[in-house]
Amino acid sequence: MYYRLSLLLLALVTPLTARAADAPVLNVYTHPSFAADWGPGPAVKQAFEAQCGCTLAYTVLDSGGDILQRLRLEGESTNADVVLGLDTATMETARQTGLIGKHDQALDALALPIGWTDKYFVPYDWGYFAFVYDTEQLAEPPTSLEALINAPEDLKIIIQDPRTSTPGLGLLLWMHSVYGDEAPAKWQALSTKILATTQSWSDGYFSLFMNGEAPMILSYSTSPAYHMAVDETDRYQAVEFEEGHYLQVEVAALVAPSDNKLLARDFLDFMLTPDFQRHIPLKNVMYPAIDLGDELPEVFDRLITPDHAFYMPPSEVAGMRRKLVDDWLNALTR
Amino acid sequence: MLANRYSAPLSHPGWQLVPGLLLGLGLLILVAFGLGSMLVTAGSADVASVVNSRYLRGVIWFTVWQALLSVLLTLLVALPVARTLARYRQFPGRSLMLRLMELSLVLPTIVAVSGIIGVYGRQGWVTALLNNWLPGHSWSLYGLNGILLAHVFFNAPLAARIMLQALESVPSPRLRIASQLGLRGWWAWRSVEWPALRPLLPGLCALVFTLCFTSFAIIMTLGGGPAATTLEVAIYQALRFEFDFPQAAVLAVIQLVICGGLWWLVFRQRLEYSLMPNRHFVQGVQLKAWPGQLWFSTLLLAAFALFLVLPILAIASRGLPSLLTFTGHSSPYEQLLSATGRSLLIALPAGLGAVSGALLTLASVSKARGRLLTAIPTSTSYLPLIVPPLVLGTGLFLLLRPGLGNNAQGWTLVSLINGLMALPFVIQVLRGPLARLDTHSRRVADQLGVIGWYRWHRVYWPLMRRPLALALAYGIALSMGDFGVIALFGSPGQPTLPVLLYQQLGSYRMSDAAGTGLWLLLLMVVIFGLLSVIGRPPAHHRYKTVRQPFPEPEHA
Repeated sequence: MYYRLSLLLLALVTPLTARAADAPVLNVYTHPSFAADWGPGPAVKQAFEAQCGCTLAYTVLDSGGDILQRLRLEGESTNADVVLGLDTATMETARQTGLIGKHDQALDALALPIGWTDKYFVPYDWGYFAFVYDTEQLAEPPTSLEALINAPEDLKIIIQDPRTSTPGLGLLLWMHSVYGDEAPAKWQALSTKILATTQSWSDGYFSLFMNGEAPMILSYSTSPAYHMAVDETDRYQAVEFEEGHYLQVEVAALVAPSDNKLLARDFLDFMLTPDFQRHIPLKNVMYPAIDLGDELPEVFDRLITPDHAFYMPPSEVAGMRRKLVDDWLNALTR
Repeated sequence: MLANRYSAPLSHPGWQLVPGLLLGLGLLILVAFGLGSMLVTAGSADVASVVNSRYLRGVIWFTVWQALLSVLLTLLVALPVARTLARYRQFPGRSLMLRLMELSLVLPTIVAVSGIIGVYGRQGWVTALLNNWLPGHSWSLYGLNGILLAHVFFNAPLAARIMLQALESVPSPRLRIASQLGLRGWWAWRSVEWPALRPLLPGLCALVFTLCFTSFAIIMTLGGGPAATTLEVAIYQALRFEFDFPQAAVLAVIQLVICGGLWWLVFRQRLEYSLMPNRHFVQGVQLKAWPGQLWFSTLLLAAFALFLVLPILAIASRGLPSLLTFTGHSSPYEQLLSATGRSLLIALPAGLGAVSGALLTLASVSKARGRLLTAIPTSTSYLPLIVPPLVLGTGLFLLLRPGLGNNAQGWTLVSLINGLMALPFVIQVLRGPLARLDTHSRRVADQLGVIGWYRWHRVYWPLMRRPLALALAYGIALSMGDFGVIALFGSPGQPTLPVLLYQQLGSYRMSDAAGTGLWLLLLMVVIFGLLSVIGRPPAHHRYKTVRQPFPEPEHA
């Protein structure tokens, strides 16, 4: 009985160890929507493995914050070779851990609305924060941040909490970029329109917006692309604000203590090629980081194109965030 | 006799004391590690900054206030429901209602909340009715209203279920006398029901208080804004977004002190033993009804059933379209089935582990002598509830340093922690029945030398199978619906059901996510249903209980 059992165990374990010995493994820490079956992850894995003679393994963590947290906990002994899925809000903290290595890439291929000179982080997609609205509930949405703030109180919006969510923080920075010191007063004026401030984008989108609880939600300018291309509905559209929109950039980086730095650099190179980037528009629902030319899906031509992109450098965000959040809390809990 | 005393497997007294002790000790070390590492990483903790911050004072105040209100409302709803269910023991749909009551606690929060919003939200069914009947009403779900409503939805069924078991265990002679005296209303309450409920109320209140105190997503989705913030949110913020470890540690300690203090009070009273007493089937004895009681009771139960079932219907109506897609590549079943397999792989061992852990803990508590020695295993029964999962996870991570490159290892760990998180609930379910195993049969078993494994098999198992099955169902279902632990540790690619749900949510697949939510719900119905069948005593036992109108107490 025990003999048989141990044989069975052995049979189960052997393939695991055997496979590990064959080829080098590139460990990538990422977040769930990237690694999902329908996300870019599987296709990227297949394309990269076809050229690298290695195995690409994802470890899926809840969010950029969790990736960072895991990296800090593991420190020098981390298994990660690449982290993929940090953003401008977590970049500075990640850099300060000393666990992120310089990428030494040329980055000539990048096509972002801003110049990118960061030595540690390589962008792989981007988008604007924007309010998405339900055209069946709201015929004429406000066309500027100012108009939204001054809208009648029966217009309800759903936003996310800057303390727990990336788009939530994005709106905080957006308001700060537009209004500066006046932002807290503007928040107070806006607060009568806020139906809910959810923990995460998913909570707001699934539980509230898709239940029709409010006609507008803080999301991305690219969200309608998914609804138009996959759900085949034009019902949900983003509204372009006159003041301009805040930019979100998602980045990857190589992990300094990694033993696979060459392979990791290959992956970062690969990241800025069409073989990787073509999966971004519809599978990650963001703009690709390079110019895809005709490969960019047609629905992307129907998205809003803000005239002005707001963007604060990560170091500045890191320095101001606590004060901005505190001001926001004071404005809304008074 | 003594010669073979220790020859039965697992019969040495140490087997009862030591494993539970080790479990409690391990947990305490984990928490200490989690908190300690956070304090060490960034030097000293600044307690003054927390006390002086208007915002954080407000957070603590709000957290306590909403939890107190939630406890009060939960009891207000659960008490009449439990009394009515105890009074009417046979009506069609009663066991269906009990199953329904088990369900609300184990549903993933986001699924349940979306159901609640579908019923009471601005576009909800009930709100639509209100708009028709009461055009000028000022009902809004968002704010304290919504928080309390959701907390009652989650906790009242649990509370009612626990109280019901206490009421059902009222000794039949007492009931008979009360019935013969014609006691009703206040007097029946004073003489029969209150004595049965009083010992369990402190523990029950502490449980519900703790659950509401540490509530997170509900507060943020329904609270309406940052004015509604709990300590748990502040800890998450400090830990995950600001990486302010000292602040997170201070906040976590405040949470531990408040909730832990409450539990300490409860245990000091030594009233906790009957939190979930055994069910003795007392049939045929009924307290006298006051006029109109039948109507009132029917109305009450119908309202409560509606309260529970409406959000579930909302979940179902949202999820059905996706689950009814059987063909084409959009059919969700391939992903659902494989995710279900993985979820079961984690949840079954977690459930079994939680039940074993609970038994070990309870055995250890009953054997332990002295304050400190008792305190260690006792802490297992509430610590996982009041330590923020992020702190627990950090501690575990530092302690074990798992190499999660290896699938099996990572999943074993997730299963282990899920079991740990389910422990408090499982202990609540098992504590009463185990404590009530009567001393007489224990003594007889001692004299006959039925010890160790044999005692378990012959004496405890037949009496414990129903509570064990219920406890196992809770353990499995709680682990099944859990997202936090697996998110904390990272999963190697292939998702479990809750991870699948969150992946779908994160990628705009809202209708698929609704389908997955409904699938999870159905799965939980199956788990509770199946285990309630397994927990039923074998036919000859049932025959006895059914036919005997006044079964004698088991120790008679």
